[in-house]
Amino acid sequence: METAVKVWDPLVRICHWTLVASVALAWATQEGWGAWHEWIGYVSLAVVAVRLPWGFLGTAAARFVMFVRPPGETLAYARRVLAGGEERHLGHNPLGGWMIVLLLGNVLLVGLSGWLFTTDRYWGVKWVEDIHEGLSNSLMALVALHLAGVIFTSFRQRENLVAAMLHGRKRPLH
Amino acid sequence: MKNVVMMVSLLAGLLAGGSSSATGLATCDSGPKESWQPQEKLEKMLVAKGWRINRVKEDGGCYEVYAINEKGQRVEAYFHPKTLESVPTQPRR
Repeated sequence: METAVKVWDPLVRICHWTLVASVALAWATQEGWGAWHEWIGYVSLAVVAVRLPWGFLGTAAARFVMFVRPPGETLAYARRVLAGGEERHLGHNPLGGWMIVLLLGNVLLVGLSGWLFTTDRYWGVKWVEDIHEGLSNSLMALVALHLAGVIFTSFRQRENLVAAMLHGRKRPLH
Repeated sequence: MKNVVMMVSLLAGLLAGGSSSATGLATCDSGPKESWQPQEKLEKMLVAKGWRINRVKEDGGCYEVYAINEKGQRVEAYFHPKTLESVPTQPRR
């Protein structure tokens, strides 16, 4: 790779892969692994608790103001993607930016509903369980969309975005 | 670029792998439901013991009870619907 630029700082990457691991493990420990499942859920909540403030205090590509675009702009970008003429973004593109917001929000809600289930008052309560399961399903749907977006954009830009999230570097814009 | 597909499918596989197991903590050989003792009787029994019951449902032919026991611990306990005796569950992992 020619002179690559640092895009994803170490904290962003640690948060990303810790979240990947904790979401995958939480999914795998749904049945019969209650104690593990709870601790894994707290890990994912801890990631959100670190990542949200980092979205205001962190390095350029980590900040929400750098990648959360208004709906109109996001739609316009989506149209350029469909037309095949979208520009490259060093950080998240507008669609990816909204995906980050949705993923973090969904992880937060699924984690909080899971914690609620463990309180004396709501232990075993059906509607809490239903909400938790519904949110975990919507999270899986978002993960699938996220992976599809990463694969699509990787091919389109001829740049391995999974690797970029590992080493943090990307090809410069110009 | 093939690496992207490989890496992503590896992660997707990890996620999908976890979804195949769906078992409760115990099973009861309890026959048709007509022969079961009523759920209310179990609830009364447990309340008399000092439990606070949040929910009772059926799982694996047993009554599954989510409750706070007399020591104030949250428990997920199984009872045989014919005898209303406690059914041992897998240790909590």
